[in-house]
Amino acid sequence: MTARKRQSPAEAALWSLRHGGMVAVTALFLFPFFWMLSNALRPDGEVFTIPPRLFPSRMQWHNFLDVWVYLPFGQFFFNSFFVAASVTVIVLVVSSLAAYAFARLRFRFKASLFLVYLGTLMVPQAVIVIPLFLMMGTFGWIDTYQALIIPAAFSSFGTFLLRQHFMSIPKELEEAALIDGATHLRILLVIFLPLSKQVIALLALFTFTGQWNSFLWPLIVTNGPDHATLALGLTLFQGQQGTEWNYMMTGAAISMLPGLLLTILMHRYIFKGIAVGSGFGGR
Amino acid sequence: MSIMRALRAGAAATLLTLASQGAHAESVKLTWYMWASSDVEVAAWKHVAGMVTAKYPDITVELQTSAFLEYWTKMPALAAGGKLPDIVSLQSLRFPGVAPLMEPLDGRIADSKLHITSFDPSILKALSRQGKQLALPYDFGPLVLYYNQDAFQKAGVMLPKPGWTEAEFNFAAKTFSKEGMFGIVPSVPDAFMVFARSRGARYLDDKGQLDLVNPGIKAAFAAYVELVTVDKVSPLLPASGTLSSTIANGRFTSGGVAMYVDGPWQLINLKKKATFTVGIAPVPTRSGGSVSVTAGSGFGIAGTSKHKDEAFKAITIMTGPEAEQYLAENGRAFPARSAFQTFWFQTAAQGMTDAPAAMAAALKTAEPYVTTPNWATVGALFEQYAPLAFSGSETPEKVLETIQKLASQ
Amino acid sequence: MSVRAVTALPVRLEQGPCPKPTGRQSSRLRPDLQTAMLFLLPSTLGLLVFLIVPLLASFALSFTNWQVIGDLSFVGVANYIRLITADPVFWQVMRVTFLYSFEYLVLNITLSLTMAVWISSLSWGKQVFRLVFFLPTFTPVVGIAIVWLLMLTPGGVVDWTVATLHLPLPNLITTPNYALQALVVVALWSHFGYNMLLFGAALEAVPESYLEAAKIDGASAWQRFWKIKLPLISPSLFFGSVLTAITSLQAFDQVYALTHGGPGSATTTLGYAIYSQGFVSYHLGYASAIAWVLFAIIMMLTGLQLRLQRRWVHYDS
Repeated sequence: MTARKRQSPAEAALWSLRHGGMVAVTALFLFPFFWMLSNALRPDGEVFTIPPRLFPSRMQWHNFLDVWVYLPFGQFFFNSFFVAASVTVIVLVVSSLAAYAFARLRFRFKASLFLVYLGTLMVPQAVIVIPLFLMMGTFGWIDTYQALIIPAAFSSFGTFLLRQHFMSIPKELEEAALIDGATHLRILLVIFLPLSKQVIALLALFTFTGQWNSFLWPLIVTNGPDHATLALGLTLFQGQQGTEWNYMMTGAAISMLPGLLLTILMHRYIFKGIAVGSGFGGR
Repeated sequence: MSIMRALRAGAAATLLTLASQGAHAESVKLTWYMWASSDVEVAAWKHVAGMVTAKYPDITVELQTSAFLEYWTKMPALAAGGKLPDIVSLQSLRFPGVAPLMEPLDGRIADSKLHITSFDPSILKALSRQGKQLALPYDFGPLVLYYNQDAFQKAGVMLPKPGWTEAEFNFAAKTFSKEGMFGIVPSVPDAFMVFARSRGARYLDDKGQLDLVNPGIKAAFAAYVELVTVDKVSPLLPASGTLSSTIANGRFTSGGVAMYVDGPWQLINLKKKATFTVGIAPVPTRSGGSVSVTAGSGFGIAGTSKHKDEAFKAITIMTGPEAEQYLAENGRAFPARSAFQTFWFQTAAQGMTDAPAAMAAALKTAEPYVTTPNWATVGALFEQYAPLAFSGSETPEKVLETIQKLASQ
Repeated sequence: MSVRAVTALPVRLEQGPCPKPTGRQSSRLRPDLQTAMLFLLPSTLGLLVFLIVPLLASFALSFTNWQVIGDLSFVGVANYIRLITADPVFWQVMRVTFLYSFEYLVLNITLSLTMAVWISSLSWGKQVFRLVFFLPTFTPVVGIAIVWLLMLTPGGVVDWTVATLHLPLPNLITTPNYALQALVVVALWSHFGYNMLLFGAALEAVPESYLEAAKIDGASAWQRFWKIKLPLISPSLFFGSVLTAITSLQAFDQVYALTHGGPGSATTTLGYAIYSQGFVSYHLGYASAIAWVLFAIIMMLTGLQLRLQRRWVHYDS
């Protein structure tokens, strides 16, 4: 695990190659982010210069303040955060319940129901957008938070991810509890969830980022800045009267902060070992 | 909540009875869907909405907005869901497709004291369908040629002016390409249609159907493509999620391209962004003359609206003299009411002494941009397929044939 | 029983198949059913209302000529027939979709596995490197697409680098044969982080004792990877592959933001074709038919993957 292994020169060379190589790959990988920031900080007129300028002629740090005035960016930020966080919470609750049922409970038609859940993962979003919009109309939900949150909160992805992890939890643990008369809900809460912190953190992160970036549905179901999300907000930098390229890059850079923060906060769980198995194992 | 709704429904029913007896008391809330981006833009439109309430205190107009491209993506969902707002904003190019959803305005225009003749006739026509007026215009404009005045002066090339010729244009474009700049950006489809019309080529047949396979338009497109492939005076634009005219705009303001063709509504932003002096001129005279096309936008009433009379009152204010003056003074619109264009020259074109002459010349020979009902599809196909010709992957002729085939599907 | 004792237990790797009820347990069938109904109620209801009902509605729409404007009439299977026999670009779109999905899937799995293995072999910076490769998922695809558009646009920084270094590379987004590759590159860059985290987490969970034992037996690093690590993480690998296949077959966002299907139809995927028929041309009935063809293809391919998993996925228990 540690660099103590550097005994033979060959091993030392290999060690440097592995680490140096990774640093090089990382640098290359980060180039688009460099380009994003470099464009976020330049005057708009310098975005398309030929030959391209690596660095702005002058650093326009105020771009990072201007976007908040140019658009109701704060509102978008709040909307995105509120929606993504709500969806994540609901997904966690709903998926753990369903996953437990599929992993541990015995009931008729389990296999068939599981297949239906699997099938819903395969539905292309563009297919259901229009009928779903009509449904929102009849519910009176158009341009509301619930229209952004509720339909997005029932993806079966979480059910699969958690179910497979639950199946890997040794049965002996809950059998004793069952004999002691514990309910399944209690077993889920005190045995399964604490043992699944890492998968749950991963699911939370995946759900949050997926929701944060969602585009087509928020576009269709919101009517303007009040409920628009950040992904939509970024499109507003492209107007009928030209595009604010630099602001768009500024906005994109700012939009990364919550995901970054979330990952750093949860890094203890996310980067730990977990066996995320196939949710399709036992048909 | 539901009690409130029931009460409101009851109130509405009572109101209907009252209204049929001639009484009119309750206030009406109209919805208006508009494309707008920045806070400043949204505020300007809210101001216009406020003008309606100022004139008719019982009418309030509630603004809903999307970015320009997304506006058109959302339209079918709104229409399919029966959720069109009372007032729909329309752009003449993208308008024919949604025309059947709109309420004809002719009856109400005749009944009102509206002087329809104070609007520019070409944009009125562009917002009508089969002789029926479907929207009142607030802005319009012929596509014009913007140029980088500093670059022209530095290169010692004569500035573009009304009546300038194809030969002068080509000379200028080639001069710039020797200086590490490009002459012009070939965006599609609008700028190309201007190019084609100036050569006398037609993109519609006698019945008004799309015709991209006649010899005239094929030759025009081949010549347009040669600007990139042979003359090398134009950069290659990619097919992308961004409109080619938007990229053209970015290239021009970055100073890498000396000329570009777009509508007058761009001027205010160009001047704000460009670090050089922006000039404006009519498109160069080619074998068919200097022919531009006029496009513009306006407001119509959805056929599904329950408050058509109020909506009509609202749009007469929103396109009325006061609103036009306000929009022109803010540089938001080149006014559709001819009398108010001076305000635009004073603000958007402030300091550009050649602007009034250029706009007058462009308007004189401009024609309404006549389109087919599926023009949104045609435009998207141009954006998607034209780059094949520019990159030399396919012949211009083949590209037009493909667009024709796919558009008539 | 003590909860603390439970959490102290290591998370075991065994992935058991669906447990079969035994005689002893069948006495608990009835109470299980009630609990199961309760536990499954929220998700089933949600999926039913917000996914299955709209899905069925679109199935019904696919047999109509609905165009938003004008009347809706039933046209039978005409949309499907037109799609297969008359649509001038359908087969091209199918080709693009399959090519893209296959290439993206293979590269994504290879890349994310390679990076996961590579990172797990490092003695420092593991978490930082994982974070870096996951960064692109934090920003909406619109933002990503614009950065790449600015980089790849003719005369942009990539062209400039290629020209300066005299590399024999054409411009990726204007050359039809390469535009799809540009799409793959951007999609990989922005999304491989998901699988990398998934595989990385699985690799971390491989018990050190297994590897030590193999080492003592004289297995090389290469052998330890193929004989121990890979089989042990194969369930994660399978999970990642199936989901990646599904999402890549549905590819829409990145196409919409980056190329709008062009140049020509070089990057028009089925997902994008649904959008352009439905939202640009207003052919909602026709778009629904394309969507159902896509749905059917995804179902068939996923079914195939499930069938093939027995050959290479190890659920040891």
